[in-house]
Amino acid sequence: MQEPTRMQDMEAPLAELTDRFEWRDDNRLDVFITSDRLLPAVEVLFAHHWVYLTAITGFDSPAAEGSEAEGMIELLYHFCSGASILTLRLSLPYSNLVVPSVCHLIPPATLYERELIEMLGVEIPGTTSTDRLLLPDDWPVGVYPMRKTFKGL
Amino acid sequence: METKEKSEKFIVPIGPQHPALKEPGHFEFTVDGEVVTGASVRLGYVHRGIEKGAEDRNWTQDIYLVERVCGICSHIHATALALGVEKMAGVTAPARAQAIRSLIGEMERLHSHLLWLGVIAHEGGFDTLFMYSWRDRETVMDLLEQVTGNRVNYSANVLGGVKIDISSAQSDAIRRGVDFLESRTQHYLNIVTQDEVFLARTRGVGTMTKDQALLFGAVGPTARASGLEMDIRVDAPYAAYDQFKVNRVTDTHGDLEGRFIVRVKELFESYRLIREILDHLPEGELTVRVPRKIPAGEVISRVEAPRGELFYFLKSNGGDKPDRMKIRTPSLCNWASVMQLAVGHKLADMPMMLAGIDPCFSCNDRVMTIRRDHSRQTWSWEDLRRYSLEYYR
Repeated sequence: MQEPTRMQDMEAPLAELTDRFEWRDDNRLDVFITSDRLLPAVEVLFAHHWVYLTAITGFDSPAAEGSEAEGMIELLYHFCSGASILTLRLSLPYSNLVVPSVCHLIPPATLYERELIEMLGVEIPGTTSTDRLLLPDDWPVGVYPMRKTFKGL
Repeated sequence: METKEKSEKFIVPIGPQHPALKEPGHFEFTVDGEVVTGASVRLGYVHRGIEKGAEDRNWTQDIYLVERVCGICSHIHATALALGVEKMAGVTAPARAQAIRSLIGEMERLHSHLLWLGVIAHEGGFDTLFMYSWRDRETVMDLLEQVTGNRVNYSANVLGGVKIDISSAQSDAIRRGVDFLESRTQHYLNIVTQDEVFLARTRGVGTMTKDQALLFGAVGPTARASGLEMDIRVDAPYAAYDQFKVNRVTDTHGDLEGRFIVRVKELFESYRLIREILDHLPEGELTVRVPRKIPAGEVISRVEAPRGELFYFLKSNGGDKPDRMKIRTPSLCNWASVMQLAVGHKLADMPMMLAGIDPCFSCNDRVMTIRRDHSRQTWSWEDLRRYSLEYYR
């Protein structure tokens, strides 16, 4: 097991896959990618020994009222090493909520992916299991509680 | 999460009522004779929608809400939230408040680890150890009650600091309690490393290598028992841990015995930290003012709960409520390791392996549906409140 590359040195290997980096803090780097670049980006992180996926945060950002723009679901893949947090960040439009699974590289990601499927309605082809993890068995299909539009059954 | 195929095998369902320990979770173990060949998990039986609920409450109310994520490690949840919100607001809690946060955090670790020691001794059929360790645990429960007013859900944190102070009488009481517990803990360390009968249940059971721990995403004492050096108190010190340094406890066994050794030795480290904090408790204020509306932004707050890394992602839109509050509890990370390691072990080892990661099921929620007389009704918060007032009238 080797030590991960310092986060400051991760910009170069990831440069090809992203058009934007954002340092949010001394120890936080956000890397903006598109969904087709997710797996290549995870592979780059793995090659530099960034293997600990701490969490996947998903949140709904609907379009502002009256706006023509489409609502988005944002996904944040947080990788941690010591105090450093490197986040792969992607936005999915409501019309195409599909992101590839990372389970073949990171087996424990299945729990986080199942949560995204249930709570936000993201489609994740290739994920190990799509069985209900958290919601009740009789929860209606197509109702996603973490969407902003959800106000109760 | 599944390992291996399940077809045409004998499946033993365990749970959801009290699988191994007194919390709900459902497991299906595929067995070939006595040996487990596959495992899957279904959670959610105590999912209460806390992340969603947080979006409808203001930051101050959320402090109380997140303390209800877990009844065992309530303080650490509130600490993670308070530290995150303070960071977004651009304020820092006073040194005395930070030290008290760490102090209560370590006392919480004491009661959590002692609770685990009892639970897993019980799973191993060693009820004497269970009773003794829980009797001793009352010492720290009483101290927590004395200091904060509560045995659980201490509610010590507020945004911008803490609401309780430590008097010199309380400080003396804590020291006396810690002295007693330290002598008891030495006895427990001897038991878990020397008792032949007990070792037969723990040595070589559920062994996880360092690489496996990394691959399965294990955290906390479970990971440290496999030699993985991760402890947020050391890696990214929060509250007062930059002043009161923690010595990371690791072990190389990787099996259940290793998990015992790590947790019991962590008790000693907590005793040392508690004394050190009491000896050098900074003087000064307990709180600073935090604005009601938190500036727009995103912040990640990571703390070391008794079970491992606790992760909070907070997003504010500039209002008095969070736009998103994502909580990733340590038990969720450790499930993967149990499900993978179950394969190849005897079914009889499953309760101890499940309990070995010190799982806490209250990670996420569901809606409250009450079935009574075959009718079904969903109760709102108002209904529940009215019911409780009527009930206690």
